[in-house]
Amino acid sequence: MTQPLLSLRNVEKHFGTVRAVDGFSLDIQENEFFALLGASGSGKTTLLRMLAGFETLTGGEILLDGKDISQVPPNRRPVNLMFQSYALFPHMSIAQNIAYGLEMEKCSKSEIKRRVGEMLEIIQLSHLAGRKPDQLSGGQRQRVALGRALIKRPRLLLLDEPLGALDKKLRGDMQLELKRLQHEIGITFIIVTHDQEEALVMADRVAILKDGKLLQCATPRDIYEHPNSRYSADFIGVMNFLPATLRQGQVIAANGQPVAAQLPEGLSEGNDVVVAIRPERLQVAAYRGGGGPRGRVLATAYHGLDLQLHLQTNLSSEPITVRLTAQEAEQTALSEGDEVELGWNAKDTRVFAA
Amino acid sequence: MQDRKPLYLMTPALAWLTAFMVIPCLLILALAFFRRGLYGGIEYTFTLENLALVFDPLYAGIFLKSAWIAGLAALIAVIIGYAAAFAIAAAPSRQQPILLFFAVLPFWSNYLVRTYAWIVLLNREGLITGLARWLGYDAELPRLLYTEGAVVVGLVYNYLPFVILACYAPLSRLNPEIAEASRDLGASGWTTFRRVVLPMTAPGIATGFVFVFVLSIGNFVTPALLGGGQFQMIGNLVYAQFLTANDWPFGAALSMILIAIMMGLLTLQTFATERASGAKREGS
Repeated sequence: MTQPLLSLRNVEKHFGTVRAVDGFSLDIQENEFFALLGASGSGKTTLLRMLAGFETLTGGEILLDGKDISQVPPNRRPVNLMFQSYALFPHMSIAQNIAYGLEMEKCSKSEIKRRVGEMLEIIQLSHLAGRKPDQLSGGQRQRVALGRALIKRPRLLLLDEPLGALDKKLRGDMQLELKRLQHEIGITFIIVTHDQEEALVMADRVAILKDGKLLQCATPRDIYEHPNSRYSADFIGVMNFLPATLRQGQVIAANGQPVAAQLPEGLSEGNDVVVAIRPERLQVAAYRGGGGPRGRVLATAYHGLDLQLHLQTNLSSEPITVRLTAQEAEQTALSEGDEVELGWNAKDTRVFAA
Repeated sequence: MQDRKPLYLMTPALAWLTAFMVIPCLLILALAFFRRGLYGGIEYTFTLENLALVFDPLYAGIFLKSAWIAGLAALIAVIIGYAAAFAIAAAPSRQQPILLFFAVLPFWSNYLVRTYAWIVLLNREGLITGLARWLGYDAELPRLLYTEGAVVVGLVYNYLPFVILACYAPLSRLNPEIAEASRDLGASGWTTFRRVVLPMTAPGIATGFVFVFVLSIGNFVTPALLGGGQFQMIGNLVYAQFLTANDWPFGAALSMILIAIMMGLLTLQTFATERASGAKREGS
């Protein structure tokens, strides 16, 4: 296997008694679009700032192209960070902002001029080159921040919640835009986000962080289909959790009925567990008197392509979410107050310790 | 229409300023155009002689001298004050109000008392001389009190809190990520300061400088106390015209030019600050 571009080995960061990053190890390959996903306080931003050089390490090492960079100051690292606030220089024009990094490299005037021109083309802001950052919209500012970092041709581009300040519509556009740029330019991106959808849409691989620890690192699809913990399962997408107990090799729901579930390894008789199942993996039909899981429709929510049903079932006190495609919804024709029975395949479930 | 309403709230302030500031100033200005009476009174005939006399080399020299002293004091105050404000803004945020409080503390004591304190320090047998003797320096010490330097020191000391406050405001508002962005893009700490932090906080520096300059150029207490009898700045000259020479018209003419210089500088400074923050408002 080739040498990874970036290797984090047992990276630690303590603030007093708080372990912001706690024994974190990870390899990232060249040209990957990698997402660090976690709630606030999970240590993802601290980790990013350590990569950029703004936080020292309490322990461990960071290898870039096989060399330890943990002692290298931020201005000497072939790594650039796109700040959450964008941190544009308000007293400089857009072109001056973008040129700044090249001036620091002591590039010739003609080279700076040429490369700034090219970058303005790429980020489609050539017509605003003379404007000040304050005169731009949020989306334009975001592109300037991106261009200012990309023009340095870093080995690694770090993006701290890059789309956090944009409205929802613009966010969707920029997600695709970022992904396109990354493919075009061929630079490794590491993005920090708390938005699971953002991570799923953009990243080749996602790492889920919790309390400074790496919980799971896999492709978005793998994490969605095979979450390795209750936290991962809950963090990515919508997930139903049914409380249950393991008895005689069966998973027994709270109402005493056995339910279909993939039996997990490492859990033993008598353990309290949760059965996790995605809303789109559940099947519902109008109640016809079966003895299986059943419930009543509490509410329906129309989402355009699909319909979400919220059910009160006999399996748990918490309502359960079911997602039907528009077609399925039409066939079943369920509405609020209807009695339903529901079913699923054992292979679509995951069972975790409660 | 809606946002014009609160204007009437300014009426008391405007009335106060008009009655006790604008009208007296206009009266003084008017005096500048009359002749001095034989025995110190005012003879109400129009003349430009008083204004012409201001530009006499003797008096113009005092103007230049005052501007030089005020400029020097402002420059030193800005250098010391900016450094102090920088340090305060870099301190942990919980300590910043305490540090600011101490920086501004001298301001709450009487101006005269503070200036007299410097006499005690700089006196021929004062604390500084005493300290030098105690450290074993036996040779003749240069005179400290009643020098131009003493006046500059006094002015810097008195107006330093203004500069610290004026510089602290933009420094504390500076998003730390902006300086980090500069480092991230390859700039050293010094380059970051020179190209990013300094330009972004320049309005505070300008405000501090103009403030000290304007307050210093017209000051008469500090030059009188720390500069000694033979040392004159514009303020002392105006004071003397009104109170000893009894030449009110000439005193008025001197005041008029002084006010014009101050107003010019303050207007310039206001425009500069407006321009610096103007772009921001256009954007939003």
